[in-house]
Amino acid sequence: MRTASPQPPTASAPSAAPPGARSRVLPFWANPRLGLVIVIAALVALFSSLSPAFLDPKLTLAPLQADVSVYVVVGLAQLAVLSLGHMNMAVGRMAALSTFAMGLAYDRLGVPLLVGLAIGLAVGAAIGALAGLVIAKTGVNSFVVTLALDFGLLGLVTILYTQATDGVAFAVKPAGLAELRFDTFADYCAGELCGPRVPLVVPFALVAALGVGLLFRFARLGREILMTGANPVAAELSGIPTHRRIVAAHATSGLLAALAGFMLAANNGAFSASIGESFLLPSFLAPVLGGTLLAGGAVSVLGTVLGATLTQVIYKGLNLLQFSLEELKLYIGLVLLAALSLDRLRAVLAERRAVSSS
Amino acid sequence: MSIVLSAEKLVKTFPGVRALDQATLTLTAGSVHALLGENGAGKSTLIKLLTGVYRPDGGRVLLAGPDGPQEVHFGSPQDAQRAGVGVVHQERNLIPAFSVAENICLQHLPRRKGLVDRARVRSEARRCLELLDVDIDPDTPVSRLSVAQMQLVEIAKALSADSKVLLLDEPTASLTGDEADRLYAIVRRLRDQGHAVVLVSHKLEEIFAVADTVTVLRDGRSVAEAEPLARHSRDQIVDLMVGRAYQEVRLPQRTVDPSAEPALVLDGVSTSAGHHDVGLTVRPGEILGLYGLVGAGRSELAKALLGLEQITAGEVRVHGKTARIRDVGDALRRHRIGYVTENRKEEGLFLDQTIARNIAVTVWRRLSRLGLVRDRAERALVADYTERLGIRLASPDQLAGQLSGGNQQKVSLAKWLAADCDILIIDEPTVGIDVRTKAAFHELIAGLAEQGMAILLISSDLPEMITLADRIAVMRDFAVAGELVNDHEYDRMSQAVIRLIHGSQEAA
Ligand SMILES: Nc1ncnc2c1ncn2[C@@H]1O[C@H](COP(=O)(O)OP(=O)(O)OP(=O)(O)O)[C@@H](O)[C@H]1O
Ligand SMILES: [Mg+2]
Repeated sequence: MRTASPQPPTASAPSAAPPGARSRVLPFWANPRLGLVIVIAALVALFSSLSPAFLDPKLTLAPLQADVSVYVVVGLAQLAVLSLGHMNMAVGRMAALSTFAMGLAYDRLGVPLLVGLAIGLAVGAAIGALAGLVIAKTGVNSFVVTLALDFGLLGLVTILYTQATDGVAFAVKPAGLAELRFDTFADYCAGELCGPRVPLVVPFALVAALGVGLLFRFARLGREILMTGANPVAAELSGIPTHRRIVAAHATSGLLAALAGFMLAANNGAFSASIGESFLLPSFLAPVLGGTLLAGGAVSVLGTVLGATLTQVIYKGLNLLQFSLEELKLYIGLVLLAALSLDRLRAVLAERRAVSSS
Repeated sequence: MSIVLSAEKLVKTFPGVRALDQATLTLTAGSVHALLGENGAGKSTLIKLLTGVYRPDGGRVLLAGPDGPQEVHFGSPQDAQRAGVGVVHQERNLIPAFSVAENICLQHLPRRKGLVDRARVRSEARRCLELLDVDIDPDTPVSRLSVAQMQLVEIAKALSADSKVLLLDEPTASLTGDEADRLYAIVRRLRDQGHAVVLVSHKLEEIFAVADTVTVLRDGRSVAEAEPLARHSRDQIVDLMVGRAYQEVRLPQRTVDPSAEPALVLDGVSTSAGHHDVGLTVRPGEILGLYGLVGAGRSELAKALLGLEQITAGEVRVHGKTARIRDVGDALRRHRIGYVTENRKEEGLFLDQTIARNIAVTVWRRLSRLGLVRDRAERALVADYTERLGIRLASPDQLAGQLSGGNQQKVSLAKWLAADCDILIIDEPTVGIDVRTKAAFHELIAGLAEQGMAILLISSDLPEMITLADRIAVMRDFAVAGELVNDHEYDRMSQAVIRLIHGSQEAA
């Protein structure tokens, strides 16, 4: 037994890091976003070597960008409530109801394209807010509430379409819809200078991504939503109006679902009852692949963009290689499972390396 | 005396922090060993290394075996427990919805034909509890136990049939004096049965009463190793922890203007939580202490005041005006009342958010323009408060959950100081806080009062109460049993307070 030799009195302020402190960070490849970029690049290389048509701007790249745009917004719609640790099982049907409202406005009121969009967004936000209100007031799990809502909306949308249309879609084509569907910026020139071959719907997704990014990174509202997701009790005891934040997050989700519905309608060229049917699974895949936690409290917008890109690249590539629809589903499922496990594996390896290298 | 476990030159680095730097610990059978150090000195980290929660970056752990000491590498807490090293961590680790028995047997559920053997779970748990001589029904869900009972269940869970070492990380931080005494009686018995018990605590009086030897950590290094405690005075130990001659802080003399208009008045308040006819008055610049046993309804009163429980009768007045407070946000913005919660892990902190966000969350409104939080203003505010409270961190972007327990407590206070209130309710501010920081906290709280803040101090720490409060209101069974003017004479005040708690009629 011994006492350490008496140390000279150190006047270290308690806030100073202990001596010998040095910083150590996880290796760069532990970042899930970077992993996604690499996987996307590898798949693009693979698909274009198997089928040169994959790099055809008109045939593949432009439609791919249009699809990615839709599913980025779909992913963001889910991300808006994942921030709370909630789920929105009704993303697809919220989109369907909102696009019905848009179609009705164009058909019966003859409103211009953007006014119809605004109406649809308002409907989406309202139905989302309703879901949020029920969840906040009753305390029932968001999964259950939105699942029930989804079921109800499924019936409602079908009834509405049979009442207002031939049962499937609105026949009306508002001015500008065709351009949104077929044009790229390359079709618009100022003298000799034409834009890039980027479809006109892409800016919608960009604005949505920037807006959501701004919301969660800098806006008080978004940060308070994240805090509510991280620890609802502490959030309430810190003076955050948690109920209102829950409503706001779900309203944002509904609004983004409506936007995605509009973009899909533009890509398809019709406001139809089937819009939103394909939204649910991709809405989770994009954010989760991008590193957003299901537990709430943390989101990644960039990751969602990359996650949506990955799923659509896979889809387009397999489609081009002429896989049947059933095969397509099977392989997408497998590839995504592989991507997710790889992601997990990478995280574990990085952690282990960080531990042993220090 | 035989050495059961020795840890040699343990090193552990976290991003930005070397938590342990060649720390050494030697444990002998049949003794209680105190592990002391300031907040963030590395005590909990050392315990986690010894029980397989973390793996050391350097150094080794030797455990006594049948043929001499053997180096061990615990891959998981289960490994450690199987080798006879049990632990009760600083943070609670029970599953509230499970029964006592299930919690005790969680690590090694007895099975029959692949299914959990419920009868054996119960009998084994009963045996564990009897070993400790505690009387808790194994079928009760843990959520219905008191904090003290939970602590005993944790100990029962940590012990196994052939356990040799028991590590207790601040087991009495949230227990009352009586409850702590009972826990220490069990510790002594385990010692007499030949266990080596390690005890981490910031309550030095308790350490001196039960421990035989002491190791002091400072900045991750052992500065005293397994010394007999009897050789040291309390002051010497504190000096070792702090690293220099430590001087007691003298609190400023404050005088409260008795004619000043009260900042906060509770007039005959009854609540849905069960309070009846509570009357309290706090003036600007005054510290009103609210003392009582755990369960007397003090935190619940604070919550009722903030609108989390309903006020069913009586009236609350803030600065002379009747106030109906809806929620914490309302209290903060309309009445400038803040509430530092007692329970930092569940109620006070966002453990997986950054320290910066934890501190700034109450003031984002003030820091934002057009709904966007101004980053620079936030950074400046956070830097200001981490510095003022001496929060030991690598970076404000670190997660709050990575801080040591005491530093977490400081963060939960910092966010309310930042909120700039007139009236502050502080619930158990120094639970789990080291001697020096505790004194700094006392100085800080007294300083806030001196600047004119009205403070309602809830504390179960009687010396703290008598040091800080101007008046002490004693609560019993959701009502005020009496109120005393504090003359800071410890012996007389403590007797008067205890008399009120036990319900004698004469109130001073
Ligand atoms: N998981 C972690 N990640 C990063 N840093 C950590 C982690 N755990 C502990 N630390 C840091 O290591 C240092 C030692 O922490 P530790 O919890 O061991 O302190 P302690 O002596 O138990 O303090 P207290 O008395 O406050 O409980 C602190 O600076 C703390 O911030
Ligand atoms: Mg600790």
